[in-house]
Amino acid sequence: MSVSSSRKIMQIFGAELDKLITLPLIWLTLMSTFILNLALAAAFTSAGLQGTAGTQSILNIGLASMGYLQAGFIILGILATCSEYTGGQIRTTLTTIPWRGLQLSTKHLALAMITIPVAFIIAASGVLYTFIMIRDTAVVIEIDTIITTLIGATGYLTLTTLLSAAIGALLRRTTPALVVLLGYYFIVSPLMRIFLPGINKYLNYFPDTAGNYMYMPRSPDDINVLTPMQGTGISMLWTLMFITVAIVFYCKRDA
Amino acid sequence: MLTMNNLVKHRGNQEILSGISFRARPGRVTGFLGPNGAGKSSTLRILLGLDRATSGSALINGKTFAELHNPLATVGAALDGFGAHRMRTGRAHLRWIARAAGLSNSRVEEVLKIVGLTNAADKRVGKYSLGMGRRLGMAAALLGDPKILILDEPVNGLDPEGIRWIRTFLRERAQSGNTVLLSSHLMGELAETVDDVVIIKHGTIVADGTLEEVIGNHSTLEKAFFALTSEHAGEVV
Amino acid sequence: MRAFNAELSKLFSLPGIWLAFLIGAFAPAVITALDSIVQKEEIIAGVSTRLSEVGYIGLALGVQGVIILGVLAVSSEYLTESSESGGGAQITTSLTAVASRLHFLLAKAGAVTVISILLCIVAIMTTVSTTYLILGEYTPAFEWSRLIGAVCYWTFTALLALGITLLTKNGIIPLAVLMINSSVVSFSVLLYKVTKLALYLPDRAGLEMFMFTSDTPFTGSLFDRFHNPFTGGLIMFTWVVVIFIIAAIVFHRRDVAA
Repeated sequence: MSVSSSRKIMQIFGAELDKLITLPLIWLTLMSTFILNLALAAAFTSAGLQGTAGTQSILNIGLASMGYLQAGFIILGILATCSEYTGGQIRTTLTTIPWRGLQLSTKHLALAMITIPVAFIIAASGVLYTFIMIRDTAVVIEIDTIITTLIGATGYLTLTTLLSAAIGALLRRTTPALVVLLGYYFIVSPLMRIFLPGINKYLNYFPDTAGNYMYMPRSPDDINVLTPMQGTGISMLWTLMFITVAIVFYCKRDA
Repeated sequence: MLTMNNLVKHRGNQEILSGISFRARPGRVTGFLGPNGAGKSSTLRILLGLDRATSGSALINGKTFAELHNPLATVGAALDGFGAHRMRTGRAHLRWIARAAGLSNSRVEEVLKIVGLTNAADKRVGKYSLGMGRRLGMAAALLGDPKILILDEPVNGLDPEGIRWIRTFLRERAQSGNTVLLSSHLMGELAETVDDVVIIKHGTIVADGTLEEVIGNHSTLEKAFFALTSEHAGEVV
Repeated sequence: MRAFNAELSKLFSLPGIWLAFLIGAFAPAVITALDSIVQKEEIIAGVSTRLSEVGYIGLALGVQGVIILGVLAVSSEYLTESSESGGGAQITTSLTAVASRLHFLLAKAGAVTVISILLCIVAIMTTVSTTYLILGEYTPAFEWSRLIGAVCYWTFTALLALGITLLTKNGIIPLAVLMINSSVVSFSVLLYKVTKLALYLPDRAGLEMFMFTSDTPFTGSLFDRFHNPFTGGLIMFTWVVVIFIIAAIVFHRRDVAA
């Protein structure tokens, strides 16, 4: 029994992976994110070159585009779950795989499988571009630091993607999911940071700010910072919580 | 064998189904008839585990749909609409379904040939005509070579050739001992295909029996249908 | 006129439109409230450097409502996300009901314009009353010319959203680009660091209609006044017209099903 059920999970996983790979919108999103990220890296680098030479950190500039980059991954997550509701595909999905909790968790797993390598490549490409452009003036950074930071950035983007997928599964419609997530990540959260400096300490416990600590270089004089591990933990907790809520709703409601 | 036991479904304050009970037996084609909005699709959706019944049960060989060990090989279902994402190609759509059930890609080519979509398999589903979409739905239903077929308006949008194909195909399936349940509102078509008839109106069953029993004294199935479903029985006859 | 009425009723029957109204009417007020609370002490002490932007900042950062409006007006014609039958796009019906594509486009733009103006007036009312509620007698006077500038900014933004969505036929890209660009981490700010041409981007130029009054202390920064309100509006309007002409040509030539 356990052999056959583990085989079944592999089959469902394969199907979910197939579904994501054969969706042209997913590729379109990833390609545009990649190109846009290089363009942004170029913009940040050229802005950095105009600044004081010699004090630039390749990592700081190379990852400066992360703020925008996450939009692409938010869209990726939303597309992955909301695409089920286009053309009534959800009916086919649930008549093929009627175990809803298993199906949605496998979908998140398949999405993570795609996101992790892509996020790493995209984040690394930005840093690489910056490195090539300003290696003469920049402060030299050890290769370990670069790798840990890139892994942190990959983790952050992956968790953001999974969180967005969970919100997409909850709301089922692309537009509201996009408005909610972009509204939070790009409008509500930055405004809170600007207008309410008093609560910055609590903002650390929100998914985006906590996640930022996974890759952001830490300045030692700030007392409110979290370690990368703490940031990862909080971020992961949020993501798991939203996935759980999404699964509970998914199992309870009519398709 | 498909068994509905006293299905009740509420949506908001509305009672969509109020106690639906009937069976679809192996070796027979069962026609599920009713006017628009009578509750045909809701019943099929509950049977397929898409919607939840407020009370009562819908069982497939004594199990609910989610309890089936290998759903695709047990039940093939084609509900209305394409059931596929518009941006995917027909072949890619069938392939992920096959993958989920552990079937090979050669089976995908087989069903594409059965429903006559081989030439359109690499087109996006969004570019399909209504009839091609129905054929794609049928292909998905046939993938696992199931013993039970559940089809919602299968001939809707098909050309005359397609309708004839469906009719002979379903007869053959039933004759080799399979169970077929199809909903429709095309009386003439249904009368030539089905063995048993279940008629639903406002969420309740108003007739259930063999084709002959339901037609009874009326000259055609259509007349019997109107007699049973019109607001003032007998008026339209 | 009938086409215009039809567009209005189509818009009002979209469920997503209520999200747009809700955000449009209250987001500016909330942002203004936060900003006013933070600045209250400085304003009362008379040392605030951003006194002239109190209230307007909400109108500048709270345009998401009309962005959603403009995007939905077009994307709803193409997209069908329904668990029921496979998608039949509404655009086919729309174009058989109103045969001339230009009329259809003008009617849609007209409906979006009217709703944006009304929405902005509502937003101005909520924003101004919020400011009075928090700052009381210290509230700076709201000038008509600048409020009209804000209305123009909102309307142009909605029309930009509409035009871009018409080109992409899909709401995701315009929604993402415009929402991010209307935030504090706008692309325009970044581009400004690279090239001064960024000052001619529609959002940056449009904001001049009511933001960045001359005496800001950040000299040499992006937040200086570069155009006068009229030129700023003109630049943004040019963008709207250009995008609309491109969209109209593409829309006119395109097969509906494509």
